[in-house]
Amino acid sequence: MGETVREAVLHCENITQRFSGLVAVSDVSMDVYTNEIVGVIGPNGAGKTTLFNDITGIYKPTEGKVFFGGEDITGMACHKITAKGMTRTFQNIRLFNNMMAIDNVLVGLHTATKSGIAESMLHLGRHRREEKESLARAEEVLKLTDLYDYRYHYADSLPYGLQRRLEIARALACHPKLILLDEPAAGMNEQETTDLLQFIRKLKSMGNTIILIEHDMRLVMNLCDRIYVLDHGTRIAEGTPDEVRKNPQVITAYLGEEV
Amino acid sequence: MLKKIINGWAKHQVAVTLVFLAFLILYPVLFHSYYLRNVAIQCLIYSLLSLALNLIMGYTGIVVLGMAAFYGIGAYALALLTTKLGISFLPAVALAVVITFCFGVLLALPTLRIQGNYLAIVTLGFCEIIRIVELNWVSLTNGPFGIKQIPAPDIFGIKSIFGLKLSKPEGKYYVVLILLVITVVILHNVLNSRSGRAWKSIKGDPIAARAMGINVFRYKVFAFAICAAIAGLAGAYYAAYTGYVDSTTFNYNQSILILSMTIMGGLGSIPGSIIGAIFFVILPEVLRWLGTFCGEWIVEWRQIIYGLILVIMIMFKSDGILGGFDLRQIHLYNKLVKEKEAEEKQNG
Ligand SMILES: Nc1ncnc2c1ncn2[C@@H]1O[C@H](COP(=O)(O)OP(=O)(O)O)[C@@H](O)[C@H]1O
Ligand SMILES: [Mg+2]
Repeated sequence: MGETVREAVLHCENITQRFSGLVAVSDVSMDVYTNEIVGVIGPNGAGKTTLFNDITGIYKPTEGKVFFGGEDITGMACHKITAKGMTRTFQNIRLFNNMMAIDNVLVGLHTATKSGIAESMLHLGRHRREEKESLARAEEVLKLTDLYDYRYHYADSLPYGLQRRLEIARALACHPKLILLDEPAAGMNEQETTDLLQFIRKLKSMGNTIILIEHDMRLVMNLCDRIYVLDHGTRIAEGTPDEVRKNPQVITAYLGEEV
Repeated sequence: MLKKIINGWAKHQVAVTLVFLAFLILYPVLFHSYYLRNVAIQCLIYSLLSLALNLIMGYTGIVVLGMAAFYGIGAYALALLTTKLGISFLPAVALAVVITFCFGVLLALPTLRIQGNYLAIVTLGFCEIIRIVELNWVSLTNGPFGIKQIPAPDIFGIKSIFGLKLSKPEGKYYVVLILLVITVVILHNVLNSRSGRAWKSIKGDPIAARAMGINVFRYKVFAFAICAAIAGLAGAYYAAYTGYVDSTTFNYNQSILILSMTIMGGLGSIPGSIIGAIFFVILPEVLRWLGTFCGEWIVEWRQIIYGLILVIMIMFKSDGILGGFDLRQIHLYNKLVKEKEAEEKQNG
């Protein structure tokens, strides 16, 4: 078993993303294996979020290919990619503010359920069964993320840190094969960041595979198995936290900042 | 004050609904006048229209300005199906609903792909086109003379049940009441389901909705088509109710009236839409009635008083009477808070 080549959950091949002249991502390749936490770091405007958008189908990469579970998903519609088991959070929180916390998580279960509009209108068997199962799963996820006591709050009435966590809960609900977190610690204080660190560790121990964009170096260096470093759209380094920390190019990119 | 009422309502939602339903069922028994029964029928027709618009605008977040188009298509469909083809009321209503649904899909497919509120403008134009077609396609619609002698509602040829004549206002009243109850139940079911949450999520954040695996385009098309179908249902009933249709009923003002009802009642609230419809049907009638006491001036000043009331309401609560109040959420939330308080008391 140990001898077999590990197949990548995600395999990106020479991804380039141009926006009318501006090259946001340039020739970036990347692999993510099962149960890994992979970090993507780099200065502001390095192209990290754009890379996420290319992977999740929000954008179609100008060049290059994305494989998910061995399947070519380049240019596939965003919602179809999600249905294959890839979910994400956003750098600028994108919750459904017109809905309760629990309904936000239930939307995260959209791909895990099938009942159609007509079935729900008539309250048929599959609709009722799926509603029950979804509700149970949503409550389970809310308990896991310590949001259970806030389940009937509107998403935007939650404190900032909890909103971030609710976004993760929503992404977690459908048992995804891969979760992409875009700066989950942004705007969090020391304590909240520590809680988040422990929580992401817990997710890994539960078997999740995660890609993490993060500026908080403590979080990245403590959590990640491997790190990709982007600068001006290009990949300037890849390796374990220790390797990356010592890489002279990385140090230059961060202008001598403590990495 | 409003908050207290809403909290009480949220807590006793089922009871309030049943009492209101009982009132609606007993209404013809309580009020015998021809006039009051017809006003009530108007309230129920507009409730259907306002609910239809709420589905697309209040829940899915897409502005639609030309609701009268589907109202008119439904009415003409029933008028033609019954008078020209001799189809009886119920199957004709079903067909009218299917026809308006298809019109909804056809209109949504090209426009909803485009970003922004193009549908609002397109439906406005569509409404005008439909009105002109209704007016000028004389061989089909009889042009400005309209279609007369549309048969009153019946149930596969049966014209009265339990001594209730379906051609009389009280009979017609119960027909539209049943249509409205069915519509509300169906909407309530679907809005609290996977599909309903998908619609709400599109209103909340379409990009996040896509990222959650929702086929945003498909759900928008269905929301719009169902909205059209419900308006078509209202139109079909309207045709059989009045026995006569012509294009002047389904104009721009009609669309704006429906829009006002939905917004004033509260976007994203089923009872809100019904309250909004009742409010706008009754307001001019109340003013007319007041005129018989206070003198003619109130009738002459009707439009201004009308406007003033609207302005005051908007200043008081700009998102409509029940806007921002989801009774289900309020009930669950209050219950949760109470549970937590009880828990804390026990612990400390
Ligand atoms: N939709 C877009 N259109 C044009 N330029 C964009 C778009 N999205 C991102 N960019 C540009 O691409 C570059 C990379 O942005 P981004 O991926 O958000 O960086 P990061 O997440 O690493 O801070 C920036 O210069 C940004 O302005
Ligand atoms: Mg970013």
